[in-house]
Amino acid sequence: MERRVVITAESAISPIGRSKKEIINCLTTGISGVKKIRDDGLLSNYINSGVYGTIDYDIEYDFERKYRKTMGPVSFYACQVAKEVFEKSGLDKDFITSGRLGVAFGSTHGSPTVQRAIYEKFFSGSKEGFSKIGAVDYLKSMVHTTAVNITKMFGITGRIISSSTACTTSSQSIGYGYESIKFGLQDAMLCGGADEYDTTTVAVFDNLLACSVDFNETPHLTPRPFDDKRDGLVVGEGAGAVMLEEYEFAKKRGANILAEVIGFSCNNNGGDLILPNTEGIIRTIIAGLDSAKISAKDVDFVSAHATATKMGDVIEAQAIHKVYGDSPLVTALKGYMGHIMGTCGVLETIFTLHMIDEGIIAPTLNLDEIDKRCAMINHVTELQQKDINIASIQNFAFGGVNTSLFIKKIE
Amino acid sequence: MERKEIEKHILRIFHDEFEIENPENDIDLREAYGFDSIDAIELLAEIEVFLGFELTLDEKKQAMEISTLGQIYDYVENLSNSRD
Repeated sequence: MERRVVITAESAISPIGRSKKEIINCLTTGISGVKKIRDDGLLSNYINSGVYGTIDYDIEYDFERKYRKTMGPVSFYACQVAKEVFEKSGLDKDFITSGRLGVAFGSTHGSPTVQRAIYEKFFSGSKEGFSKIGAVDYLKSMVHTTAVNITKMFGITGRIISSSTACTTSSQSIGYGYESIKFGLQDAMLCGGADEYDTTTVAVFDNLLACSVDFNETPHLTPRPFDDKRDGLVVGEGAGAVMLEEYEFAKKRGANILAEVIGFSCNNNGGDLILPNTEGIIRTIIAGLDSAKISAKDVDFVSAHATATKMGDVIEAQAIHKVYGDSPLVTALKGYMGHIMGTCGVLETIFTLHMIDEGIIAPTLNLDEIDKRCAMINHVTELQQKDINIASIQNFAFGGVNTSLFIKKIE
Repeated sequence: MERKEIEKHILRIFHDEFEIENPENDIDLREAYGFDSIDAIELLAEIEVFLGFELTLDEKKQAMEISTLGQIYDYVENLSNSRD
């Protein structure tokens, strides 16, 4: 059994805003959400990269203590976007709790803030320090903390998928959510990802010489995907969620259908855990096209992973060219918000949904001079008024994990 | 320690830490407020600070049988008397 799957609601907490209006405004006027990194009292003074994709606005949470007590900062983000997606979807409580709806939601590594607090007590070396490790610290910090805090808050009894595959975390969430519905295991899936403010991730990439360091005084000019002057990625924070539903169910209840998910693929490079891999990406894209039952020429727009690292962008451009030629328009949305790690896939999907709805394609921000090695594909360098029928969102992660997601405009 | 002082302090903990206002003495805290084992562990940590001494493992295990506020008062009063 193969069923059609549609997206019926979305919610974002992104460095360029929350609502569609705010996000489209930034995408169409070239406003960046990258700011100077804020002081964390630990690593921010030592790492070389001084920029961060920042949530610099307040979010009003109204979660009761019975929910808050098991939530670290990452779960506040996750539960907020989940709550808004449920509200927008119009799904009723009986359905949400029926077991027909599941959750696919993850984060890069749970709550680093809570983990740090645990280690501070642990390494104090005293018995008092040990006893101060909270009863709920694990629940707040564990890898699947976002998914299960969502299930607790909304009484969800369906299946749980909690990917934690670095930069493919939330694209896997959507992909595995899609497959759960497509193959009849669930009728709806809440899918997404969240990442809280965290400098340990910056330190990891900083020590690999993969972080942007040349624009610390002009954060809005970095990252620079595919640009000749790109100098690395910019880590960020945020959250995103989408509601996936079986098409006939959504149609019957009169849901507001934003787009159809028509294909997904995920595979591994089968080798190095860090180096980008052209053949691996090509295999992923081709498998995604097969899943969607379309050919490369059918794809109008590719949301590139493009983190603005020296080699990653070149390898991705080569792979896109090998499969698609120079046909689809290509934008790297990280230019606007940095690399929100496990959350990038869902946010890039939401931004793409907004562009489909508006009939526009935003340019890659900070792409002033295209690196000759990346120039063989059809980069978007200026805002375009164009209808997207089929879009692909591709993401790649440490560990050699690749995903390719295909969405289609609903007629 | 006076019983009234214990009651006043425990009620303040319920207000400040658990957002539970003036619970009745004999009501089941789990049923009425969703007060669960996680909350119980946190309450024990607060009680240790209040009493100024560490509880033994056995004393902590005894607390897991408690379900009402009145039982908490009794428990804390007994602990206080045990160290006098």
